[in-house]
Order: sequence, then C-alpha cells, then structure tokens
Amino acid sequence: MNEVKAVIADDEAPLRQFLRARLSEVWPELVICGEAKNGKDALDLIERHRPQIAFLDIKMPGLTGMDVAGKIAGSCRIVFVTAYDDFAVEAFEKEAVDYLLKPVSRERLEKTVKRLREELESGESVQAEILQRLMTRLSEEEGSRHLQYIRVQHGDGVRLVPVDDVIYFKAEDKYTAVMTREGESLVRKPIKELAEELDPEKFWQIHRGVIVNVRSIARVSRSLTGKGVVKLKDRSETLTVSSRYMHLFKQM
Amino acid sequence: MKPPMEFRLDKKRFLTSLALTAVFNTIIALFLTHLGFGGGLYINFIFSQSIGLCMCAFILAGHYFVKRPSIPGHALLLLVAMPAGAAVGAFVGAQIAGFSFSEILRGRPAFFIQMLFIGILFGTMITYFFFSRERISQTEAQLQDEQIKRLTLEKKTLETHLKLLQAQIEPHFLFNTLSNVLSLLESDPNKGKAMLTDLTRYLRSSLSRTREKMTTLGQEMDLVRAYLDIYKVRMGERLTYAIEVPDRLREMPFPPMLIQPLVENAVKHGLEHKVEGGQILVKAADHANGYRLIVADTGSGLFEDSVSGFGLANVRERLEALYDGKARLILEDNHPSGLKVTMEIPHE
Repeated sequence: MNEVKAVIADDEAPLRQFLRARLSEVWPELVICGEAKNGKDALDLIERHRPQIAFLDIKMPGLTGMDVAGKIAGSCRIVFVTAYDDFAVEAFEKEAVDYLLKPVSRERLEKTVKRLREELESGESVQAEILQRLMTRLSEEEGSRHLQYIRVQHGDGVRLVPVDDVIYFKAEDKYTAVMTREGESLVRKPIKELAEELDPEKFWQIHRGVIVNVRSIARVSRSLTGKGVVKLKDRSETLTVSSRYMHLFKQM
Repeated sequence: MKPPMEFRLDKKRFLTSLALTAVFNTIIALFLTHLGFGGGLYINFIFSQSIGLCMCAFILAGHYFVKRPSIPGHALLLLVAMPAGAAVGAFVGAQIAGFSFSEILRGRPAFFIQMLFIGILFGTMITYFFFSRERISQTEAQLQDEQIKRLTLEKKTLETHLKLLQAQIEPHFLFNTLSNVLSLLESDPNKGKAMLTDLTRYLRSSLSRTREKMTTLGQEMDLVRAYLDIYKVRMGERLTYAIEVPDRLREMPFPPMLIQPLVENAVKHGLEHKVEGGQILVKAADHANGYRLIVADTGSGLFEDSVSGFGLANVRERLEALYDGKARLILEDNHPSGLKVTMEIPHE
C-alpha cells in the first residue's frame, strides 16, 4: 500500500501543532501534507493533495468543519475534532462518525488511528452516505430560523431592535411601523413579508395590517359587533381583531 | 382599591343564571302556596316563574349594555330593572294563566302591588346571592393570577441564575483553552504558563463574583482583559483589542457579569467567523446622568436572524431589573462593519 496522506484543519495554531505531534507518535508513517487555518484553506488543500484522511475542527472561520465535509462529500475519510459540543457529539455517536475531543488524548487517538488503518486496508468505501445522514440530522436540529432583530433607521445610523421589544407592527403602504415602548419607527418591508419571517408562536397577525407580540397583550374583550379588542401592556391605544383572526383567541 | 366588578355576558352565564332563577322560583312558589297565599300551586308557579325570569332577564340585559357598572350605577340599574321586570313578569304571568291583566289592575290593585312587592323582595335576595357568587369567583381568579405571576417570577430568577453560572464556565471555552495550554506547554512553555494564569484569573474573579451583587467597573474590566488575553493567544494576529476606561470611572459600582457577555458576543458572533478576524474596543465614558459603556467589534455584525443566544437577551433583562428601566441597551451597526453595543447606566 502506498503512503497515506492527511490534512489537519484548525483555526488555532497551537492545536494544529499538538495534533500533528500526537499523530507523529501514534502513526509515524502518516504524511501530513498540509495544515489549514480556516475552512476555505482546508478545502483548497484537500483538492490539491487528495489526502485519504482529513482532520477537521468544527468551529472554523469562513467554512466550518461541517461545511467542508459537506463539500468534499466522500472523497476522503473525515475525523471531526471538537472541544465540546453536546449537539454534534450526539450526532456523531448515532451515525458512527469518527471524532476526537480536544485536548486529544493519546489513547483515543490510537483507537481512531487503528480504525482508520483497518478501513484503508480493507478498501472500504468512504462514508459518504453516513455523512449525508449526519448533515441532515444536524440541519434538522438547527430548525427553522425566525427573525430576531429589526433594522431601523435612527438618526444617522442604523439600530437593531430585538423583536421581543416590539409591541406590535402596523402596515403603512410599502412600509411597516414598528411600535415599541419607546416610540415608533419605520422599516422598509411590507407586513406580509414580516408575517412570514416572525415566529408564529410569539407574534400573531390579528388584522390584515396588524401583527401583535403575544407577550404584550394585556387583555382581549369582545365588542358589541363581535370584533375583538386588544388592550396592550405598554401602550395606551387598543387594537382591533378582525373576525378572520378571532379563532386565535377562542380558548380565552 | 379593587377594580369595579366586571360582568361578562356569555351564553353559559346567561343560561345558568336563568336555570338557577327557575329553581329559586319553584321554591318560592312552593313556599307561598304553603303559606296559603295566591291561587294554588299551579297559579303561584306560573306567576313566580314569569316574574322571576323576567327580572333576571332584565338585569342580565342591563349588564349586557353596562359592562363595568360603578356601585351607584349598579344600584340604579337594579332599581330600574327589578320593578320593570316584576311588572312585565306579572303581565306575562296573567296572560299564561288566562287572567285579564286589565281586570287585575282595575279590580284587585292590592294583589298586583303585593305581587310586585314579593317579586322585588325575593328578587333582591336572589340578586344578592348571584352578586356574592360572582365576587367570590372573581376574587379566586385574581388570587390565582397573582400566584401564577409570583411563580413565574421565581422561576425566571432561578433560570437566570443558573444560566449565569453556566455562562461563566462555558464548556467550549474551557476545554478549548485547556487544549491550548496543553499544546503550549510542549511548544512554548512560557506562553502556556501565561495563558494558564489568565484562565485562573478569569475563573477566580468570575466565580467569586456570582454571589456579590455589585462589584466595580474596574474589576469587571480586569475580568474582560483576562478573557480577551486568552482569546488573543488562541486567535493570534486575528484578534486585536483595546480597553479604554478613565481611572475615575474604574471605582464606579457595577453589576457583575454584565459587560463580559457583550465582549463574549463580540468574539463569538463577530470575530470568530471571520477569516481575517478583527478588532474589539471596550470603552467607558461619562454620559448625561451617568456613564456609557461601549463594546464595538469589526466582525461580521448582527444579522436579522442571528440568534444572539443567552448573552444579549440576558443582559437586557438584567439591566431592566437592576435599574428599573432607566438603563438602556442600544444595538447599532458599526462602521464599516460589525456591531456596536452601547449600555447607558444611570447614576444611582
């Protein structure tokens, strides 16, 4: 069998040196053909040298170790290296992906190296499928992302208002008024777009042009005409719930 | 002072009130027949039901229009609704029983007056019964609300405390730093020792600080410096930082672990993702009726869907609680890139 090549990727230099030193003790014949200090460099190195093994740190600037693994899909064996990450480690365990915990211990590294050598000798195909499953698992757990901050113009700068501080949104033509305890500002985004981006658990559309923060609702009562009237905690005005959205308050 | 009682009129309340009134009416009819009043059980039953139900309907109708009557308003409502209900009820009763209402009025006005009187007497008793029932249930609901509020607050305090503890000894930070120390002890022992000293300093001050309510701005800045020094070793030339705090502000009392999360946020969400890294500036300056703390980074900035995690949200919550809403946390885009967080702290 010809020489086995590997690359090491970690943004922290001392940690690359440390892993390299441990590997030279445990697997002296292994050729480290390059060290990368970020995800993009790692990708370049892997494409240039075509190593059989890549040791990838998960948290790297640019592209993470996961991103790199996704891009090289199956062209080499991957060993993830991480300091601590409940989330990923659980996924690694479930999908039987190789991983090392920092600081890398000699015993653990020996075990990993033994497994890698066996796999290389038996010519087992690379874990493309496993990686695919791992990615799906991790992306599922990340879940969908909702809007957390709203960019509003303030004086000559731009401020970021946490959506939790917003009491309600009101449509105003192509803009939307953002109402907070401190006042009112405009965002250049139609309310329809906001409705799709906000967490539906925290923000309810109660009218064609109004989305309210559920936490800011003090009480809801029913007017004579059957429409709902929302009283707010930190603002004096009331909001009307159109009959289309009254079902939101049914259990109340 | 208690808020005026609210009478919510829904279908359920409407029907239970009428049903209960019907039960009372039956008892009244039996009672009057037993005394020998009126014209036998059948007639008494018809009159007491129609008078009682009409009065009840009139009062409910009153509540439908006046949701939160004041006490005199409520008395006035009853004063109108009860006699009117009784009179209409007597008329309806006469129709059902087959009497001529006009004959009763003309021939036996005393009987009519008696009916009204008895109706209003029992009506008052029954209204009082409903009133106390409502009051009790509202008081109970209020107590329950207060209890829920108190428990939520307690839970929140506990949660914050726990998260604060976790935030200080963030495992990823700890293990990564220890790995670095371990590597440096081989390649550059002096640097390794320096890093271990920084880590010890950081852990000691952040851990001992948890139990204290207040520390000084200077002490917090020392903590921040130790934290940034550790990152400086780990990130190398990718991180540069400056801390600018005038000496006189160093003595200012300051809550623990309020500025560190902002710095942590700048490193983790701002610089760590950026290949070329960047700078962090921590600055304190006088401002209006207090002072102002700024943590600015040249990192990747805050995206609209960035989950800032525990850091910023917690700082905001604690500022709110500690300064009773008088402190402010402002998030701005930094120029040309990154995030600038400003904390405005009032003098106490």
